[in-house]
Amino acid sequence: MAEDLLVDPVRLRDEVRDKYRAVALDPHRIYHFHTGRPLAAGLGYDARLVDALPDVAVESFAGVGNPFSLRRLEPGERVVDVGSGAGFDSFIAAAQVGATGRVVGVDMTAEMLTKSRATAAALSYDHVEFRAGFAEALPVEDGWADVVISNGVINLCADKRGVFAEIHRVLEPGGRLQFADIANGRPVPHEALRDIDLWTG
Amino acid sequence: MLEDSGFGDVEIGDACDTFGGATGEEKARAFDVYGYAFCARRA
Repeated sequence: MAEDLLVDPVRLRDEVRDKYRAVALDPHRIYHFHTGRPLAAGLGYDARLVDALPDVAVESFAGVGNPFSLRRLEPGERVVDVGSGAGFDSFIAAAQVGATGRVVGVDMTAEMLTKSRATAAALSYDHVEFRAGFAEALPVEDGWADVVISNGVINLCADKRGVFAEIHRVLEPGGRLQFADIANGRPVPHEALRDIDLWTG
Repeated sequence: MLEDSGFGDVEIGDACDTFGGATGEEKARAFDVYGYAFCARRA
């Protein structure tokens, strides 16, 4: 499968990790994308839920859409957030599923995990946890999740089919994948698709 | 790709101007890049 990939997945992971380490540690810097509360408002997130979160839970949010816009989560649902970053979408999910639900965020960037875990502890969210891992190898048992969410992450993975296969594995039959991501309406030249710098910037 | 991966009932939301007003806007416009919400059910 690796020979079919456009870029080296390990090098791409390193580049993505560097970029999002900066977003965790220095969220108010200018990036090529929007971040934080203005972004959440622009993407139509429920203002009541966003306003209830502390700044540290929102400032490093760097999603590209709203995975809750087509369907709200139900109380009691078990959710996996692929590429949970500093935890913004996981905390929105936690509010929607309530104390009888469960949310597992998975991220590969240590600085994001440190931030999301600290925020979960500060909020006393016992039903949210954050695990280290890759989208292509989720640290979640087979069929555990009712819903998988993700936001702006799958486009940054070299092996998208591998990611979807892994999401399929952790979802129960009939479970839902709710994600947001970017798509291009015009073709990107083949040489650009192989330029790893263009994937992250 | 979603359907090839064992998902059905695929819904796609309206386009979001994800990069509008950000420094990445020019590059996004060049390739007509927008954000979308997707919902699909595991078969």
